[in-house]
Amino acid sequence: MTLLVLSLFSVALTLLGFFVSVPLFKRFTILGLSLALLSLLLTWGKPFALGPYHVDGISQVFTLLALLGALWTVGLVRSGRFEFYLLVLYATLGMHLLASTQNLILMLVALEALSLPLYALATWRRGEGLEAALKYFLLGALAAAFFLYGTALHYGATGNLLAGTPGEGPLYALALGLLLVGLGFKVALAPFHFWTPDVYQGSPTPVVLFMATGVKAAAFAALLRVAAPGVPDALALLVAFSVVLGNLAALSQREAKRLLAYSSIAHAGYMALALYTGNATALGFYLLTYVLATGLAFAVLSEVSPDRVPLERLKGLFHRDPLLGLGLFVASLSLLGLPPLAGFWGKYLVFTEAAKAGQWGLLVLALITSAVSAYYYLGLGLAVFQKGEAEARPRPLARGVALAVALVLLLLGLVPGAVLPALAMG
Amino acid sequence: MVILALLLPILFGVLLILGLPRAFGVWGAGLSFLLNLYLFLTHPGGTAHPVTLPLLPGVGVYWAFGLDGLSALFFLTIGLTVFLGALVAQVEGRFLGLALLMSGLLLGLFAARDLLVFYLFFEAALIPALLMLLFYGGEGRVRALYTFLLFTLAGSLPMLAAILAVKALGGSPTFLLEDLLAHPVGGGAAFWVFLGFALAFAIKTPLFPVHAWLPLFHQENHPSGLADALGTLYKVGVFAFFRFAIPLAPEGFSELQGLLLFLAAISALYGAWVAFSAKDFKTLLAYAGLSHMGVAALGTFSGTPEGALGGLYLLAASGVYTGGLFLLAGRLYERLHTLEIGRFRGLSAPAPALSALALFLFLAMVGLPGLSGFPGELMTLLGAYKQSPWLTAMAFLSVIAGAAYALTAFQKVFWEEGTQKTEDLKGAEWPFAALAVAALVLMGVFPGFFVKGLKPLAEAFAKILGGGA
Repeated sequence: MTLLVLSLFSVALTLLGFFVSVPLFKRFTILGLSLALLSLLLTWGKPFALGPYHVDGISQVFTLLALLGALWTVGLVRSGRFEFYLLVLYATLGMHLLASTQNLILMLVALEALSLPLYALATWRRGEGLEAALKYFLLGALAAAFFLYGTALHYGATGNLLAGTPGEGPLYALALGLLLVGLGFKVALAPFHFWTPDVYQGSPTPVVLFMATGVKAAAFAALLRVAAPGVPDALALLVAFSVVLGNLAALSQREAKRLLAYSSIAHAGYMALALYTGNATALGFYLLTYVLATGLAFAVLSEVSPDRVPLERLKGLFHRDPLLGLGLFVASLSLLGLPPLAGFWGKYLVFTEAAKAGQWGLLVLALITSAVSAYYYLGLGLAVFQKGEAEARPRPLARGVALAVALVLLLLGLVPGAVLPALAMG
Repeated sequence: MVILALLLPILFGVLLILGLPRAFGVWGAGLSFLLNLYLFLTHPGGTAHPVTLPLLPGVGVYWAFGLDGLSALFFLTIGLTVFLGALVAQVEGRFLGLALLMSGLLLGLFAARDLLVFYLFFEAALIPALLMLLFYGGEGRVRALYTFLLFTLAGSLPMLAAILAVKALGGSPTFLLEDLLAHPVGGGAAFWVFLGFALAFAIKTPLFPVHAWLPLFHQENHPSGLADALGTLYKVGVFAFFRFAIPLAPEGFSELQGLLLFLAAISALYGAWVAFSAKDFKTLLAYAGLSHMGVAALGTFSGTPEGALGGLYLLAASGVYTGGLFLLAGRLYERLHTLEIGRFRGLSAPAPALSALALFLFLAMVGLPGLSGFPGELMTLLGAYKQSPWLTAMAFLSVIAGAAYALTAFQKVFWEEGTQKTEDLKGAEWPFAALAVAALVLMGVFPGFFVKGLKPLAEAFAKILGGGA
């Protein structure tokens, strides 16, 4: 259903784009994404399979998150060209496919289908953006090659192409490792994160929002499937690198988008903890809180400026526009994981998974780095209350959304149990 | 009922933050105080008003609250101190709103019967504390804020690891206190679990050498003393050691008991020493607080029923008198725009009633028999003496030193000859004074009435530790 809606709209809008005005086109895109969302909710909890395309609980939850990210991006952006919206739509289609298959070949195709539009979107601002996009493209192509190689070895080791096939031997371990590298690049796990700070800083903020939310959700769905039979030992290294490097590097950042880029690396590390037990519910909840909080942060930043946002420019935002200021404050605290905000329960759930898996060393490391992260999250969140000349000309809708998301983060923190049953997947 | 008692200040706090006038907040604080008083007076013993609602039942987390003798006592002192603050602190409505919000969260912390819910409130109370400091603090507030925050988080995140470990290693099905107590952690892991808790709670007691956030926090907060009074109530370390850390990992505690007793005694002495040379009111009170918490912690760490009882009673009483003194300092600041002790001279002549109130508060802090500080100190020292006479003797020096620093400060400010003119008590300060003095006297003369709900808890506590050994 969802696949049908997304593909139909993608193809139809490609043709339509040449004939209708851009604002109207934007509405059509929103319509398409909303219909996809609707179709997803209507079939919630009902599995569906067609060849390698396989809709299950994981697919639904992670597609939902990707769709939220896409809708938010499209709503925020003020682009004069219809291609922008179209690329987002195509990328969303890729994300849905990536989340909805166990077949490694289809995964690769989906990975490319979501990446190619993003390469183009990353160049949307010429100049600085171009360099970042080139980096993104080259490293992305390399990651895809790793993934392909991993697929081949996986086939060699197990005789089939289904992710999650149990196996043994060095060949199998190597295959899993390569698949992990390919996907680790997409979710920005260190040491495959080098593109992240530059791309986040150089790309238009709404695009970054899309990358930080949708791409992460879809790629983590694939990671869950690949890691289902048991994670390779190397994952511990990736987690450790990500949480340490991400948090430490974020400490010295003076630009909000770059800071959030390093924060996203650290969060990828925390989320990867859930892979140890393969608990999709914990990961899904973490991603939900992360998507809402980081999306909110980027949405506020994009109202301040579509460009770079040095922390200096956020000072006084609360006095200029209380709703936006409060939104950024709540988002920072939720990313930090301070109760009673939703981010706390996300961390709590994945840390519990680490405890269940007996990964005490990683758990302690994650907790210590969380404490370190307080420094920069507070710097970001409290900047809005300081004296300064922040400027913002937000649209009423953006302010409403900021308030709504901040309230949702608070409510999810008070009654996290309310959504967990919906995220429980087989 | 408990839920209502929690929600009342939180609701008033939120309404005030949204812009209702200050007077409304005074009513809210008064209502909250009366409700807490009612809950305390009608407390039947045991765990009253238990509430258990699912929060994350899948992983064993419940909104579980209940009021045992200990929680009821703290409900009373928190309600009282916040009401005292609301009466006199001349601050804008939003500030009072933050204070009320924080008091509601602190009530939740004391009433929690689920370890994770306790943690939730423990952390959440940080947010209004930070905001009060940020919005209404002095010049150096950003540095004070970071120090306070990083200390707190450096403790509370290892504590989260300990919380997860306590359930995973002990094998309890939920985080409910009774389930956890039935499945204590033993063996080598107990040491690490206890260490995780101990770090967080030592910072929040505070104990030497992790007290560095305390003086900065008080110096930079708003001179009215409202935030300081709430900060004093937030020093929940002794309570948390008693309620959670020690009973949940008694074996780990036994290994560290000697060190903790030593640190408590050092804190008592060191705090008194620095307080003696303090130049301004808030520094004096901050270090005096450190010294008193050292004494209270010594009692709890002694593992004897008397010591634990005394320590907790001292903690409850000090919330009122230290909070009251911070508020009093705020009154002085409003009159003479300084907090430097050397700048005040002979205020007892122009303001006799004010100076009488100050004398009551100082004497309660010193531990004069008949006022609220004495019973707690006495029981603490009796209990601690059984456990380690030498350290108790050392801590006792701080009590003597307490008389020295408090009375010296009082003498300088109120008695020495001077020509300063100032107003005496006025308006809302009269009910403030009456209520504070009544509380100090009642808690000093009838300690038995206030601790009757605590006794069984203290005895159960000592039993977990093998009868006080």
